[in-house]
Amino acid sequence: MIFRAVEDTDLIRQATRGSVESYNLLVSRWEKRVYNYLLRITGNREDALDLAQDVFLKAYQNLRKLDDPGRFKPWLYRIAHNEAYSLFRKRKPEFDAEDVEPEATGAGIAVGGTSVFPIELSLAVASALERLSPDQREAVVLKIYQGFKFEEMADILSCPVSTVKSRLYTALELLKAELAPISPRGVS
Amino acid sequence: MSCSPFDLRDYYLKELTDPQQRQVETHVKDCPACREELQQLRLTQAALFSLRDEEIPQRIAFVSDPVFEPSRARRWWAAFWGSGARLGFAGAAMLSAVLLFSTLTRTPPAAGLSSADIDRRIQQAVYASEARQTAKTTQLVHDLVQRVDSERTLRLVAEDEAKFAKEQQFAMEKSVGAVLSPASN
Repeated sequence: MIFRAVEDTDLIRQATRGSVESYNLLVSRWEKRVYNYLLRITGNREDALDLAQDVFLKAYQNLRKLDDPGRFKPWLYRIAHNEAYSLFRKRKPEFDAEDVEPEATGAGIAVGGTSVFPIELSLAVASALERLSPDQREAVVLKIYQGFKFEEMADILSCPVSTVKSRLYTALELLKAELAPISPRGVS
Repeated sequence: MSCSPFDLRDYYLKELTDPQQRQVETHVKDCPACREELQQLRLTQAALFSLRDEEIPQRIAFVSDPVFEPSRARRWWAAFWGSGARLGFAGAAMLSAVLLFSTLTRTPPAAGLSSADIDRRIQQAVYASEARQTAKTTQLVHDLVQRVDSERTLRLVAEDEAKFAKEQQFAMEKSVGAVLSPASN
């Protein structure tokens, strides 16, 4: 008998055959990442949790339509993206990601050129991310925090790679202007 | 703007091919401006990573409800049609069945006959046909002869009857003449 780690593709195969236990194990592997992705694009914990539950339910219902189990990750994030934007539109029928102004939150602080404590830095990051447009913020989250390639991001966001790069690089310029001067040099 | 041969951001985000990555690395070694640009990107990313992932406040899990769960047969059927290998096997099996049915129901060809056998059978058939033709011709000739004989016999009888009638009439006329001539004498 050969022992090997159970991979996502094994769990997906078992889940499509009706194994709820396998699907729960798959969910446990991805729920934190999906929740944090949703948290960073919605900025609301309650919404992020509700959306994460909807995402995994929808993924379970459509698991048989996933032709290539190796593409589970971008497929799952595409569902998450669609669910989040569906919520945005439900709340604001005229929602246009390019036009949305970031909502003010208590986390926003003024960022100067002086060094800050880690907690202050993370607050500054949260604030800087909030100042981005939803599209720019999502591009940063997918690339920096979730580690997707441009092709995968284009697939998730249903737009050309050039658009993905444009959003991301504009966002990085804005973030760099705000965060690089205050970032502790020893962190990297 | 950067003087790098490729976009430094693409390089930093590892979106270039290996040869392109190496070209940028070589360039950056000798270019302080590009090194500074890369340092800014590193600091920005480091700052972004200070925002840690949060734990999900409530774990997500699903329970299996037998009411909504598909039956064993339905799951098997779905899995069967969802499996490319099984589908291929089923297709091959159906094709084999069709070929087998076709083979069993087809009329067997005249296998095992040599050309000599075929010639002999043709000869036999020709002989049989000729024999039937000869018998028919003989019958026709026989019928014709009988008909001709019958007609000749009828003609002879008719001629005899006519001759007898003529003789009767002549005899009658002679006897009447004999009776009348003594009276007239």
